[in-house]
This record gives sequence, structure tokens and C-alpha cells, in this order.
Amino acid sequence: MSLDFALSDEQQALGEAIATMTKRFAGRREEFIQMILKEHRFPEELWQALCEVGLLGCLVPEEYGGNGMGLLAMAMGLEQLARRGLGNALLVLGAMDACCIVRCGNEEQKRRLLPRLASGEDKYCFAVTEPNAGSNTFRIETLARKEGATYRLSGEKTFITGADVADRMLLVARTTSAAECEAQGLPKAFGLSLFIVDTKARGIDLKPIPTHGIEGMIQYTVHLDGVEVAQEDLIGEPDQGAMALFNSLNPERILAAASALGMTDYLLERSCEYARGRVLFGQKPIAAYQAIQHPLARIKAQSEAVRLVTYKAAWAFDQGHHPGQVGPFANMAKYLAAEMAVDACDRAIQTHGGYGFSEEYGIIYLWTTARLLRTAPISQEMVLNFIGEHVLELPRSY
Amino acid sequence: MDSVVCVKRVPDTETKVQVGPDGRRIQASGVNHVLNPYDEYAVEACLQAREKAGSGEVTVLSLGPAEAAQTIRQALAMGADRGVLLKTDPACDYYMDPLSVAHALAARLKTMRLDLLWFGKLAIDDQSYAVGPAVATLLGLPCVTEVAEFAALPGRATATRVVEGDRVRMEVDLPAVFCASKGLNEPRFASLKGIMSAKKKPLETVDLAQGTARVEVVALELPPARQAGRWIGKGVEAVPELVRRLREEAKVL
Ligand SMILES: Cc1cc2nc3c(=O)[nH]c(=O)nc-3n(C[C@H](O)[C@H](O)[C@H](O)COP(=O)(O)OP(=O)(O)OC[C@H]3O[C@@H](n4cnc5c(N)ncnc54)[C@H](O)[C@@H]3O)c2cc1C
Repeated sequence: MSLDFALSDEQQALGEAIATMTKRFAGRREEFIQMILKEHRFPEELWQALCEVGLLGCLVPEEYGGNGMGLLAMAMGLEQLARRGLGNALLVLGAMDACCIVRCGNEEQKRRLLPRLASGEDKYCFAVTEPNAGSNTFRIETLARKEGATYRLSGEKTFITGADVADRMLLVARTTSAAECEAQGLPKAFGLSLFIVDTKARGIDLKPIPTHGIEGMIQYTVHLDGVEVAQEDLIGEPDQGAMALFNSLNPERILAAASALGMTDYLLERSCEYARGRVLFGQKPIAAYQAIQHPLARIKAQSEAVRLVTYKAAWAFDQGHHPGQVGPFANMAKYLAAEMAVDACDRAIQTHGGYGFSEEYGIIYLWTTARLLRTAPISQEMVLNFIGEHVLELPRSY
Repeated sequence: MDSVVCVKRVPDTETKVQVGPDGRRIQASGVNHVLNPYDEYAVEACLQAREKAGSGEVTVLSLGPAEAAQTIRQALAMGADRGVLLKTDPACDYYMDPLSVAHALAARLKTMRLDLLWFGKLAIDDQSYAVGPAVATLLGLPCVTEVAEFAALPGRATATRVVEGDRVRMEVDLPAVFCASKGLNEPRFASLKGIMSAKKKPLETVDLAQGTARVEVVALELPPARQAGRWIGKGVEAVPELVRRLREEAKVL
């Protein structure tokens, strides 16, 4: 009987590759952080470096220009980045889009789209949320009408991260409206289709939504007014996009959990360092006070458990397990990781006292980032609904 | 164009090192290790020379503990072809002074075919600047240190040294030893694809015979903590006060 938790040589090498890459930019850390926090821009050089290392290629097979290392590798990569206080939402969104194209795209689409996605030459964002459809994706109203060899898309997407910097977006639209589905007695999952849309296409209008949570990137409302999309850019079969969509939500949750793990490590490290150096009464630093120390120790213990679930979820995905089997772990990982990250940030602020709120120490900026994970990419409530319904087999309330 | 690049596994500059309980070594636990940054330039120089020549092999040689294999793999992931680890005995962990290291490396290097032998100009942990030139001496090869520009021609190479405001261009017959300085090139990152293929590249491990310490580390201390900076003021108005303090308090003017 054996169960091996040891990291493989490649997994260790991956950690060192990220360390080497971020170290190269160590001298410009402040400049980058300023750009991310104050100018809401992500440094292009850092993006290029992330792509050169190949993080975006993890979910793309080698024959399409990726490295095929898989989701666990990518999760570990994001974790390492977050451990150094860095991250980029477009990595997560791009990975999700890659996953959709790999699983549902045809050969021509894979050859045309994947190499440039994997290399980072084309940036991808992801658009599903609408003003009237957040947690309930089936309610989306954006409609794609077929006209000869093209589709015309009209509707409104909201909270779309990075729509300005992305070259393309994977967009979920209805090719059969909810009303038509109902009239024909079709299930509500019917009628969803996935499109690759050029973000600069005619008929697209972006309006920024001032939002906190994802630093270095802006959320947009995306208005689509008769946007023309070629039939070649429909991913998968028309009306059958629901399954493809839900399949790629698992990696998104797993990667969100991995980022939260890295962030937690970062916060713990910063907290311990600060607490060791802060002396207020007598000779002992505040790190010696159990009121400061124990919460940090508790979070450390928690993080080891969350790491196991997260890796297990990624492993299950890489093993090619059915999405229904990956889902429980992906959801559990995201749930636990989000709670832990919020807790870790709360304790980091508390440990830092007033400095926890100062811009100079930068801890306070992570508060919204950590807190966001309870709400997006999926809310904790919807995660618990999933576990209740699909794991515990309890009835739905809604 | 065959090259050998000697690399060292060193503590990451970003990790805060602590002095170990024996007071003579840094605490090994909790320290991340990386490929010595100057060696990255050296690796890149070898890769570029190979690419330009269109043929040849880049061999990575390291002396260190078993974990230094990771460091060699890092260079293999950047694109080097094969690795050799001279593995130190964990049971005998005395300090190896630069000349002992040079002797061990040179013994192996004598058996290898090479046109270029690269080092980083220093390892960021010991900062002795010595191993490259010492190996060159032992092998009887010409040596150029502080190399900031480099071009290899068949049988010859030109290297530019940048020292104290001077730029000295040199020509040297190959084989020769070069020690890379910062800014020599822009080292490529080890990509995940490279990491995957590095796994399949040959890495030979040789157990290093135990030697005796000739230089002993007696004590290791951390430098005194740097005092926090102080705001004197902002803009032009602050300059006279800054000058006054530099003169009267810091006594540097
Ligand atoms: C910073 C940021 C970036 C984002 N980036 C993107 C992006 O790039 N692309 C994209 O498509 N979307 C993006 N989103 C949208 C995000 O995915 C949604 O906000 C999220 O899914 C929640 O949807 P909603 O805001 O409509 O909330 P609602 O669905 O309106 O939910 C409101 C509240 O009700 C609860 N609730 C709803 N239904 C149930 C139920 N059945 N049982 C129990 N409780 C329930 C929810 O949990 C929540 O607490 C982003 C959001 C933010 C804040």
C-alpha cells in the first residue's frame, strides 16, 4: 500500500523556474507594484516573462504549441507566483479558455488559436456574467443569431476582467433563447453556445466598472450590438455549449484555490517577519505572544490541508476524470481556500496593527483580493449548493 | 563549439538567512536555493555560442550536495545538453575553500573536451571571485574575468571587460576560461517545456572523495540591522537640510 506525496523533480524545478524568473525582477518590484495598484495596469514585461516560462501552455498539448504539463503544474506555478505577492487573472482566464478550446474545438480551431494563446501573444478574457445572470448562467440573454456563414451577437456582459487588454474573449451566448427552449420543451441547459470574439470587433463597446479585488486589471461592461462572429469561431456544437462551459469552470476554481494558497503563504511570511521584529513590551517581540502566534499557526495548519485538496482536484483533472468527479474536489478546494485566504489576510492586518492599513506595507490591498474569492469566480453559497446537491445528494432549495 | 559551464547552487537572495545553531553556517531549513545569478549569464553565453556555431554541446558542471542536481537541471531546462554533478559527502561538511573546489573541478575538466569554459564571476553566497581564475591556473588556460561582452570565432574569442569606467577588449586563443559579469546578456528563462525535456537529458553523478579542511570558518554573523530611513522633507527645499545632516550627522561630506 502506498500513497506518494513527494514532489517530482519537475514539480520542484517548476518552483525554481518561477523563483528564478521573479528574482530577475526583484529590483523592480516597487515599480511593478505601483503600476498594478495605482495605474491599474499589469507590467507587460512581467506578462512576457510568465509566458516565456510557459505557464499558459500547461493546459495546451505540445502539438498545439503548449507544454502539456497539466493543471497541477499550472496550479503550482500560480501558487509560487502568489507566494511572492504576484498574480495575473488573465492566466486563469486564459487557461480556462484553453481548456474549452482543447476539449471542444475542432482541429482547425486548435491549430489556429492555441499556439498564440499558449505563447501569450494573444491575451484571452472570459465573458459569461450578465446584469441579470450571475450565479445562474442559464438566464443569460445575449443572443447569437445565425445569418448565413456568420453569427450576429447582441446583449450585455458585465464584470468582464481585462476586456481592454485582451485580444479575444471566450463568450457564452444563447443560440436558442430561454423562451424558445421553454416553448419547445427543451431543458434550460440547451441553447448555450461558445464563441471566440475579437475584443476590437465592430459593435463592441466597453465601459469600465470601478471595482476592487483584482489589482492591475479593470472590469468592464461589454455591450454587444450586432457583433459579427464567423461560424469558424463557434467552439463546439451550437446549442450544446453548457457541458463545455461547466467543464472549464473546474480548472478556474482549482486555479483560484491555488492562488489563494500562495497568497496565504505570502501573508503568513509577511506576518511572521513583522511580528519577529516588533518589540513593544520588555524584550520579547509580539511574535512570542500567543494571541499573535496561535492564529498564524492555525492558518499554517489549515493551509497544508487546503493544499492537499487543491492538488487532489488538479490531479483528478489531469487524470482525465469525469467533470462530475473533479467537481466536488474543485469546489471544496475553492471553498476552503477562499475562507483561509480571508482569515490569513485578517490575521495579517491584525498582526501589523495600524501598519496593516498603510499603503506602504501593502497588506490592505490584499484584503479585497482575498475577500473577492468568497464571491467570484463563484460564490461560496453556490459552492455549498453544489456540495449539498451533488455530493450529499440533498434536495435543491431553488 | 563545445562549452562547459560551472554552476553553483546558492541561497536565494530573497530569503532571509539565519545563522545556524553551530554559529558557523547558515541555517539550511527554510532557505530557497537558486542557480547563482552570475552563472545564469555564463549558461546563456554558452547557449548563444552553441547556437551561433550551429553545433557543439553545452555541459553543466557543479560541485555540491545531492540537491545541486536541481540546479544543474535548471541549466539543462534553459537549454544545456548534459550535466555532471561532483557530489560532496553529506557526512563531511567542512567548508571547501575556493582552491579545493578548483582542484576538484579541474580534475574532472581535464577529461573533458572543451573550447569555452565559463564561470560566473562570483557566487553570491561566498563572494570569493576565485574559483574561475584558480581553475584556469590549474588547467594552464588563459582567463578573462569580468566579461561584459563576448563573441566566439573559430579558435579565438573576443571578450570585453568592464572595470572602473574602463572597457578593455581582449582577444584570446581557445580553449580559454571566462567569468561572466552582470549585463553580459539577458539569460533566457527555464521554460516548463525546457523542464520537461531536461528530465530526459543525461546527468552523471560522481561521488567526491573526502578531503581535509585547509580553511576553517570560525564564526558567521549577520551584518548589523540597517536603520530605518528617515524623511527629511520633499523636493528642492529639503536639499539644504539633507546636506547639513549628511555633513553633521552622517559625516560623509
Ligand atoms: C472583481 C470581479 C471580477 C470578475 N470577473 C469576471 C469575468 O472576467 N468574467 C465573468 O464572466 N464574470 C466575472 N465576474 C462576475 C462574477 O463571476 C459574479 O459576480 C459572480 O459569479 C456572482 O454573480 P452576481 O454578481 O450576479 O451575484 P448574484 O448571482 O446576483 O448573487 C448575489 C448573492 O446571492 C447569492 N445566491 C444567488 N443564488 C443563490 C442560491 N441559489 N442559493 C444561495 N445563494 C444564492 C450569491 O451567492 C450571492 O451572495 C467578476 C466579478 C468581480 C467582482
